[in-house]
Amino acid sequence: MTLLNGRRVLLVEDESLVAMLAEDMLMDLGCEVVLAMRLDKALALARTGTFDAAVLDVNLGDTRSYPVADVLFERSLPFLFATGYGAKGLDAAYQGVPVLQKPYQQGPMEHLLHRLLTCEDLARKGAAPCLRPGCACKAPPQAMPPGLSGFQADSPA
Amino acid sequence: MPQSRQPLQSSALAAASLATLRRGDQLFETERRLNAVLNNASVSIFLMDDRQHCVYMNRAAEHLTGYTLAEVIARDCPLHDIVHHTYPDGRPFPLEECAIDRAFPQNNHERGEEVFVHADGHFYPVGFTASPIRDDSANIIGTIIEVRDISEEKAAAERQRLLLNELNHRVKNTLATVQSIAAQTFRGQTDPAARAVFDARMAALSTAHNVLVEDNWESASLRSVVTRALAPHLLAEIDVNRFRIDGPDARLHPKVAVTLSMALHELMTNAAKYGALSVPEGRVHVTWSVEPLPDGRQSLDMLWEEQGGPEVAPPTRKGFGSRLIERQLPLEFDGRAQIDYRGAGVVCRLQVPLTALGWMGQDVIEGQPAL
Repeated sequence: MTLLNGRRVLLVEDESLVAMLAEDMLMDLGCEVVLAMRLDKALALARTGTFDAAVLDVNLGDTRSYPVADVLFERSLPFLFATGYGAKGLDAAYQGVPVLQKPYQQGPMEHLLHRLLTCEDLARKGAAPCLRPGCACKAPPQAMPPGLSGFQADSPA
Repeated sequence: MPQSRQPLQSSALAAASLATLRRGDQLFETERRLNAVLNNASVSIFLMDDRQHCVYMNRAAEHLTGYTLAEVIARDCPLHDIVHHTYPDGRPFPLEECAIDRAFPQNNHERGEEVFVHADGHFYPVGFTASPIRDDSANIIGTIIEVRDISEEKAAAERQRLLLNELNHRVKNTLATVQSIAAQTFRGQTDPAARAVFDARMAALSTAHNVLVEDNWESASLRSVVTRALAPHLLAEIDVNRFRIDGPDARLHPKVAVTLSMALHELMTNAAKYGALSVPEGRVHVTWSVEPLPDGRQSLDMLWEEQGGPEVAPPTRKGFGSRLIERQLPLEFDGRAQIDYRGAGVVCRLQVPLTALGWMGQDVIEGQPAL
């Protein structure tokens, strides 16, 4: 898929063997992958790194990846959650974020990333305003819906 | 008689000396306070004389046993014969075998668990604490026994046990299912050698989970992880000196246990194919130390050394094993790992800060401060 070619993707996944699989899938889709397996590293990368999109495993062992999501919201970077529990497993505040059902599969991963990068999904669900320079979708920036107003960078890290 | 609607008196008067309290109205006040405490307590309290007859029980105790104090006193026999007379399997339970009776205790707060029989005939588990009552000359003249119905705790522990059994079964079953799906999917299409590698990796993963099952998924013994991971070779060896495994035991977080197991499996497989385990005279040393870190955690420093094998050449391409060990393991645990393909034998050093034990929500469920 040409749209994904050369895109920089932040992958946050805490299990070594699973991370290898997801990383290979993203690379096979033409993406350049930056892998973080621990919350502190993921947060540092999310704050300062340059990415086109991010794939966040929700459950990072003894913690969750929500603080990373908060930073990505702040920076208006599109991302999706990967979880074995489906959207129901997400905290209520994050229900609008696209969910990739685990185990990872290349087809759904490609499909969701494609939608993320064209912002169709984001514009429809209002999960985040599209402010990315050069984004193909030209969706108008939106105010955060009330349910999402709590996402600020001061969330506990 | 004092007037019946007299209000509770101030604490200053309650703390008055015994001499003052000998006046009838104040004795009444003291008794009323004690009754208020005893009859509103949710724990059952029994006061026993030196014959193990119950001379007092509070309201919670009446509710627990299904007998009133008047009924128990009228029976004129040891309390044991009223609430503890039969084992749950139906055998009679003589007083001489009763732990609570034996705990006509010398020490305060003798504790234990027993199963009582309710007035309606049903059995219920209880936790008890027994303490002696002494007279002015310190002779033991009776016992005070606190009893708590622990049915819910027992049921919760049983549910937990069943869930763990189910979890153990499901995990092993899922691994076996994955193995079967792979076998069916790639039948006749894959190099049998590749299938053998896959099966061995699945077995290593399954073994890692066996170690976790032994301690209810909370932690794993480092020594067990090492010996189990090497077991395919360790057990087949006639020469006991071929392996040297040396280091202190430690408790590993389940994630560390699984990844370390897989890493050791890969090192062992590589040694069997190209290294020290591919020739009869080759040896493998796995040694480690566990040192405290400044932040309170422990750090594992493990050395894998091969000797006496054929001349080692660095691999032309990095495979699953080196990717897992050199890249994933440090990323997952914020540690360091290096494989050195020395001519005389592969040397691999792993430095892994040991993740604090515990699981998400454990502090909430067990009422402990967060780890």
